[in-house]
Amino acid sequence: MNKVVLQNNSSKLLQSSEKVSQTPFQRAMALFRANRLAVFSLMVLGIIHVAAVFADFLAPYSYNNEERTFSFAPPSKIHFMDENGKLRRPFIYGRTITFNEFHKRLYKDEIHQKYPLEFFVQGDSYKILWLVPCSLHLFGVKDGGRIYLWGADSRGRDLFSRLLHGARISLSIGLVGVFISFSIGLLVGGMAGYYGGKVDDVLMRVCEMFMLFPGFYLLLALRAVVPSNFNSVQVYVAIIVILSFIGWASLARVIRGMCLSLREREFVLAAKTMGLSDLSIIIRHILPHTLSYSLIAIMLSIPGYILAESALSLIGLGIQDPYASWGNLLAEAMSIVQIKFAPWILLPGFLIFITVMCFNVVGDALRDALDPKSSS
Amino acid sequence: MVLQIKKLSVSVAVSDKKIVDDLSLQIPDRSVFALVGGSGSGKSTTGLSILRLLAPGLEISGGEIVFAGRDLLKVHTDELRNIRGKEIAMVFQEPLYAFNPVLTIGDQIEEVFSSHTDFPKDKRRSQSLELLRVVGIKEPQRVYHNYPHQLSGGMRQRAMIAQAVALKPKLIIADEPTSSLDVTLQARILELFAKLRQEFDLSVLLITHDLGVVKHMADSVAVMKAGKIVESGMAATVLKNPQHQYTRELLAYAS
Repeated sequence: MNKVVLQNNSSKLLQSSEKVSQTPFQRAMALFRANRLAVFSLMVLGIIHVAAVFADFLAPYSYNNEERTFSFAPPSKIHFMDENGKLRRPFIYGRTITFNEFHKRLYKDEIHQKYPLEFFVQGDSYKILWLVPCSLHLFGVKDGGRIYLWGADSRGRDLFSRLLHGARISLSIGLVGVFISFSIGLLVGGMAGYYGGKVDDVLMRVCEMFMLFPGFYLLLALRAVVPSNFNSVQVYVAIIVILSFIGWASLARVIRGMCLSLREREFVLAAKTMGLSDLSIIIRHILPHTLSYSLIAIMLSIPGYILAESALSLIGLGIQDPYASWGNLLAEAMSIVQIKFAPWILLPGFLIFITVMCFNVVGDALRDALDPKSSS
Repeated sequence: MVLQIKKLSVSVAVSDKKIVDDLSLQIPDRSVFALVGGSGSGKSTTGLSILRLLAPGLEISGGEIVFAGRDLLKVHTDELRNIRGKEIAMVFQEPLYAFNPVLTIGDQIEEVFSSHTDFPKDKRRSQSLELLRVVGIKEPQRVYHNYPHQLSGGMRQRAMIAQAVALKPKLIIADEPTSSLDVTLQARILELFAKLRQEFDLSVLLITHDLGVVKHMADSVAVMKAGKIVESGMAATVLKNPQHQYTRELLAYAS
């Protein structure tokens, strides 16, 4: 049912705009826009990425602001009415902790301590886009109270803040990793396809070497080579390098196949007669023709990078505490007991799931929109 | 002499079958030399071997191609790359295929400047616009920003010629430059060649199967059949009084 509606929509869109002549790009845009799920996913991705960029400002606390007494504190309830049923500005109660006979923490609201929710408050200092020092946060409560929008982790750090900071690392590893591995893949594939012969043979055998190993075990092996005394920034860079190192080969193979046929086109010969260098022929004249394929492949392979980083961090080989990534935040959810008492620690997994789904939906929609045969 | 080909042989690498067989020709300065022949006679292969851009599987098995005192078959690839486009340029039969469909006309003309000169961006642009004007395009500004498929066949061929003459080469190899155009456009493009020849002081190696075109603009002509030159001489003489049977046949079928 849903599918039929979508198809109707897209054909309607096509009919209405066919009178004006459409460039292929406009046609693809129209097809993409007709896919509502994809547009929605793109919006979700947009929101997540913007939130990651402005994590410092949106999060009430910094990633390592801890309050150990509030270990696994449940999400703070935001109240609009006080205990007498009187309407007030939104506030949260302060909480006290007692232990029951199993040493489990019990949180109890203190109705005398009220911390009104405040906007644009001063808090932990940070730098806007790594440059301008600042300490303004979108919301927060006065010192003494702690607001845990989505609960706290084992060391009483705000999960909401840590998720936002973790988004930076998890998402940027996907984007940077894809950028590096696609640069390598396009260049290697382009050279193999353009030159052919021995160059092709050597480059393709190298590609196959990389594809021969099961990805995750190669990932682990390469991670084992990286010294364990690396600091967090170095680990972050190392993870990106390792992921790109594994990811470029399959793309290079496809691009090579496309270039084998593209190099026979007359405009390549024409470019040679103009005296262009081989590299500029590959980059300017051949690779742009693989753009629609690469774009789809990029969209569909970003999730792989996000998942690989999460997997590494989950088993403790990736980003290390106190820095946050969705993978190492999820590591706390590895025990069933924790999940039972503090189910909110599953949130990072949920975010990974949403992000990966969105990238896949957008990638699929792009493939349909850019396929010249799909216009029926 | 702008170009001298001495005993050039091109053969299929695997079978030693000769596509071009002991071919010699001389193109005098500022002249139009027509290389005429049917399909498969080896005329396009001769043209491409001047720039050493033969299709894979073909190889030059002997001879010399002397251009400006250098044997093009012996110069280093880097030097050859400097000759391509700068001293010897090429015009193709079907500009729709010879232009890259994803780049604008302006981009592709500018490319010749950016690969052979260090002109800044605005100079490349103004020179490209000037070239488009020289080849008789009325709205250079628009054409500059157009993609190849947005132009008519005649316009595309003019743009292609503009690209070829960009750096004032000494020789232009024109491989069937008018075959994809209708008769009136053919005449216009040939006129353009005649005009540019005066203006830019260049020689043209015209590869064609159409003796009508030869009559229009060639100074000298060589008729090729099966990789060999069967007849050559001044265009007027050969066309008026063909000696070889094959030339007579070509003449009989020419319009």
